[in-house]
This record gives sequence, C-alpha cells and structure tokens, in this order.
Amino acid sequence: MAISLVKKNYLFGQGRKRWVPWLLLLPGFGLYLLIAVGPSLATAVYSFTDASGVRGAPVNWIGFENYDEFLFRGLASRDNLAALQRTLIFMVVVTTVQFGLGLVLALLLNQKLRGRTFFRTLFFIPVILGVVIQGLMWQLFLYPAGGPVAEVFGWFGIQSEFLGGAPTEAFIWVMVVQIWANVGITMMIFLAGMQTIDETLYEAARIDGAGGWNLFKNITWPQLTPAINTNFLLNVIGSLQAWQLFLVLIGYRPGTQVLGYLVFAEGFGQTTGSVSAAFRQGYAAAASIVLFFLVLVLGMSANWIVQRRERKYLG
Amino acid sequence: MRRMKWLALVAALALVFAACGGDDDTGGSDTTGAGGEPGTTAAAGEPVTLRVLIHSQEPMTTWVQDFSTQFESDNPGVTVDVAVVGAGDLATVTQTRLSANDVDVIDMFGFANPVQDYMGGATPPAWQTLIDAGLLLDITDEPWVANYDTASIEQAGTFNGRVYSVNLGRTVYGGMFVNNDLLASVGVEVPTTWSELVSVCDAVKAAGNQCMTNGGQDGWPVFVGTYGMLGALFPDQAGLVEALYTGEMTWDDPAMADWWDRTKVYAQDMLEPGTTGLAHDAATFRYAAGDVAFLPTGAWQAPNLEGDGGATFDWTYVPFPGSDDAADNQNLFGKYDQGWAIAANSPNVEVAKAYVAAFSDPDTYQEFVTTTGFIPTQATATLDTKLGQALAPYLENFQVGFEQYWVQPAGAGQWANGSQAASWFVPFNEWDDAAALATQAQADLQAALDELQ
Repeated sequence: MAISLVKKNYLFGQGRKRWVPWLLLLPGFGLYLLIAVGPSLATAVYSFTDASGVRGAPVNWIGFENYDEFLFRGLASRDNLAALQRTLIFMVVVTTVQFGLGLVLALLLNQKLRGRTFFRTLFFIPVILGVVIQGLMWQLFLYPAGGPVAEVFGWFGIQSEFLGGAPTEAFIWVMVVQIWANVGITMMIFLAGMQTIDETLYEAARIDGAGGWNLFKNITWPQLTPAINTNFLLNVIGSLQAWQLFLVLIGYRPGTQVLGYLVFAEGFGQTTGSVSAAFRQGYAAAASIVLFFLVLVLGMSANWIVQRRERKYLG
Repeated sequence: MRRMKWLALVAALALVFAACGGDDDTGGSDTTGAGGEPGTTAAAGEPVTLRVLIHSQEPMTTWVQDFSTQFESDNPGVTVDVAVVGAGDLATVTQTRLSANDVDVIDMFGFANPVQDYMGGATPPAWQTLIDAGLLLDITDEPWVANYDTASIEQAGTFNGRVYSVNLGRTVYGGMFVNNDLLASVGVEVPTTWSELVSVCDAVKAAGNQCMTNGGQDGWPVFVGTYGMLGALFPDQAGLVEALYTGEMTWDDPAMADWWDRTKVYAQDMLEPGTTGLAHDAATFRYAAGDVAFLPTGAWQAPNLEGDGGATFDWTYVPFPGSDDAADNQNLFGKYDQGWAIAANSPNVEVAKAYVAAFSDPDTYQEFVTTTGFIPTQATATLDTKLGQALAPYLENFQVGFEQYWVQPAGAGQWANGSQAASWFVPFNEWDDAAALATQAQADLQAALDELQ
C-alpha cells in the first residue's frame, strides 16, 4: 500500500480549521436567507392565499384562484395583460434609448474636452435625486398651461396635455423621465470601462491608419464588453421593475399601469379610486410572481446574450 | 486562538439575531396582553409618545397639530407625534403602521358602508378588514361617543353593532363653488338646472373668462363634483349601486344617457384648458384668482378660499345642477369625512382615549368645525361660517354619495365604475364617444357580475 508523503496544501488549514471560513460565511448567508430568500418564498406562498396583509386578519388557502383571476377572470385580466404588454414596451424602449444615449454621452465625455467634468456631473446629478424630487421637477416642467416644455412645444404649434392627458402620451413621458433619471449611471459605467482600455491599442491602430469608426468597432466596443454587459442587464432588470415614477407622475389611471405598479396598487388598495378599496396582498403576490417569472425569463435571456458576447470577445 | 475564533463567530451571530429582533420604541411601557387585549397607559410619571396619524388636508392638518400642542401642555409628560400623509397614502400607511403596532390614534378616512349581501364575494373594504383583524379598539362604551349624533355614529362608526370610530364631520362633494361677482359682471344668475349651467358657461366664456377649473393632475378631483350630477339624476345612490349589481340598471341603459353625455360636456367644454396639469389645492388657488366662474369640488376647500391668499370675490356653494328639473338639484351629496379610531394594541390606550376625549369636548369640537368648515356631527356644534351659510338651505337634504356605497367586484375591468366617467374623456383619458364609453363600462362591470353568478 502506497503512502502519500506529499502534504496536501489546504487553503484554509487542516482539520477543524477547514470549517472556519464556512462558519464565517454563516451570518452573511443567514442574513441573505432572512432578507432576500425568505420574503421571496413568503410571497410565493402568499400568492396562493387571500391574505390582506393586515396583521391578525384571517388568511385562507385558495389555491390558484389569484392566478386565475389575474390572468383569466372578467375584464380585469384584459387590463392586467395590457399592463404586462406595457411593461415589455417600457423595457424595450427604456433599455434601448438609455443604453444608446449613455454610450454616446460616455464617448463624448471621454474626450479631452473643456468642461467635461462639469458635464459628467450634470448628467449624473439626476441619479442622486430621489424619485419624488424627480417627479415633482418634471410635473413642473410638463405643466400644460404655460410650463417650460409646453412653451417650447408652442413655438412649433404643438399642444400637449403631457402627464395628465391620453394614457399613451403620459406613458411616453414617464419613459422620458425614467431615461433622464438613469442615463447618468449608464454613462458612468461606460466611462469607467473606457478608462480601463489601454491607450497603446489606439496608438497602434492609428499608426495602421484606423479611423474613428474602426477604432470604435475594433477596440472600444470589444474592450467595453464587461461594461456593456453590466449596463444591458441593469437596464433590462431595472426597467422591468420600475414603478415608483408611475406612482409619482401619474398615479393610478386607466391605461397607464405597468406590472410593478399594479402589484403595489392591488396590495395597498389604490386601484379603484374609491374609499372602499381593499387590501389584496395575496392577489398582489400572485401578480408579483408573474412579474418575477417575466424578469427571470428576460433576465436569463439577457444574461445568455451577454455571456455569449463575453466568450466571443474576451475568450 | 481557536477559542477566540469561536467567540468571534458566536458574537457575530448574536449581533445578527439581535439586529433582526423586534423593536417597539413607543416611549411608553407596553402592557398589551398576549392575546392582543387593550393595554393601559404608561406608568405614571413616565414620558409617553402618542403617535397620531392624519392625512394632509388644510386647514385641518394645522388645526390638529395646534390641538396636539395644546394637549401636550395639558398633559405633562405626553408628547404627541403627529404624522401627516397624503390622502391617497392614508390607507396604505394605516395598514402598515397598525400591523407594525406603530400608531396609537388613526384618522380613519372613508369609513363607508360595508360589503352588502347582494355583492356576493366582493373583497371587504380596508377599514372592515382592520376591524375583522381586531386592530381597532371597540369604543362603544366610551362616554365621549355620546357627544356625536346618532346618525353619524351609526352610519360612519359602527360595524356589527359596535362602535370603532367617531366621525369628525360630514363633508359635501357633489357641488361647486360659484363666483357670484363674476356671474353678476356677466349678467347671469346662479344656474339651477343643467341647461342653465350650459348657457351660463357659454356667457362666461364669451365674456373672456373661464367656466370651470379643477385639479386634473390628481385624477379624482375631475369627477368628485360630478357625484352631484349622478345624484341629481339618480337620487337613491344606494339603490343605484344595488341596481347595477343586480342588473336592474346598466351603465348603457337609455336612462343613463344623460349622465354620459353631460359628463362629456363637463370634461370637454366646461373645464378650462390646462386643468390636466393642476393639482387639487393649486386649482383652488387658481380659482381664487377670480376669472373662473365655478369650481366643482368638495366643500372642504372653503377654508382655502376664505384664508390668506384666498378669494377676494363673493362666493357661494351650490349642488351641481346635473338635472334639468331644478327640484332634483336640491340634494347635497357627500360623505362622512375622517373619524378618530384607536389602535386596539396600542400601549398608550388610555392616553389615546384622553386625546380623542379632549377633541370630542363640545367647545374644542366647535373650534374644529369653525376652522375646517366640516358639517358638524355633534348636535351642539354649528357651522357659523360663510360656507355654513351657503350650505344651510340644503343641509336637510344631505345624502351619502355613490362612492361610499360602491365596491368594485373582483374581475371588473378598469371602466366598470362609471361614476368616474368625467376623468375618462379626452383630454383626461382616451374616450371621446359617450355612448361607446357607456357600452364599455357596462361590459367591464358585466364581466365581473357574470363571474359572481
């Protein structure tokens, strides 16, 4: 019988010492279970009940009734599916424009231009404002009778009710505000990525006669892969979950809700505009599980795309 | 060394679990029983923080804050922490703070009629759920409850024979403020029928003024005044809700045609341009500028017209003339506004009772009514204000409005509550055809009623 004389090189020592890192992980893991996994599982369980969310109120197991109501019952299901569709439109438009605009701003502000620090700050400022402040600012900007945007529109003979008008119009303005509020963070991630690119790559390419487009296509774009992937995922998931701006800017109005806002409104009795609105947190939980699967499917698809890009460009 | 690691680990875990433990910083000693029985006040001499939750509605908000300061002076050791939230957020904050046992006295906004038998399995309104969950204190036997009139206690404070809230006042919303000076300058009278209202609006606009303004940005102010129109056309509002549920009446019934046509005219022809961007309070101050004839909203805005920066013109308040028969336009539709309720699990129950008792004192209540313009729910109080004088001819005809009876059936579409029609027409939403909207409203309601059966 051969006896190994080579001592194994344990990363965390031998014997009981090997368990120390796992034990040190335990508090963090416990917190994760408590704060993230626990409520998620509870939401899944709640979605099969008629819970109101009021402590002490009876909670009954009703199986798939909430899902049945959300997806199939009466014409509320029509409105819910429309909210689902609106959520997808919101995601596609916001992700596309915010991503593109953030990239363009980062490219511009990565040049050695006068005042670039000022403009970087200017574009980033909305990110640090709270949603309520953002909402109030834009309500003033978009005041239809003499507000600044209305004045500018007036020069071109355009009249608009902005946030208080037709649902489609109000919805578009929420997208505008969402992009304005978040494009700064997209820009910053791109800028950070650009500043890690080795300048000698550009110098070598220029010596070989590469122009602006070729530099971007063959150096900047591939080298930005981690930043592109991060931004893409953040934009997709962030826009799918957006709802606060809808609450602040337009409230609960027929034809404007996205799924995230619907979950809040159903859970806290803000749907009917009547004093006799009800708390329906079991039903809201079912809606949030639908939203969860939407985020899961689209998030995983986005992740698959970015991983494929990473393999292609970074190996 | 090994012991130190274990000690550090145990300490870290202890810290985590300690951080996750409950915290009940109430400022008083919690004597709540395990079964949720009402407790008593903090031990004598200990400081107590009484947590009061109200919704934002001037001048009521400022009055309650002043009253709370006075209560502190009268009760050394008591600090009153008044939290003010927007009207639309009150139900949410009430639910979360009551569930977290983080509030003592609550402004119960919208204690309306409960779910009726004919509503099938409709989900009970929020306030009913709170009572069912045992979160509101039964105050039936408190002596100060008797200060309020029997009707208000029965209609806006009682559930299953027990009293849970005392109502602070009736308020009227189915009417409109009238700028008497502007009408006089144009040479027209206060309209008493729908046809008169249409012609007065035409005259006012022809003279270069605006007919009506409102707070379109907040949504609900657009339709709140038209509850008066619905009431003028269908005075039995409880009966109308029941008829809609049972199918005896439908939103697209020919008898409803006037409702849809007139709300369209109101939304599109009577309200001034730019209404979509005005908040509710801002609309009142816009109205106070003097070049708008009518402001269809709740009478609760009267103190803003009377106060600093308010109207400098002569005004009155009349029921919305929704019918072409002047006799139908004599009813004032409204609701019971907020009432005080006490958290059943409050550790400061006795202080909370003392707070509501102090408020309920007839002299204090009279001050409240005078300041806020609420129609009193205490028999001894009088509304001796300009608004009181305006409402006096109609007060006998006070009736609870549609929204207090309506409970949306599960599965109903977003257009099912046709009483909100005014906010669905262009420019506030997408509808331009009154008949098509009526058909859609009935379809949205019927789909849910079919499910009920």
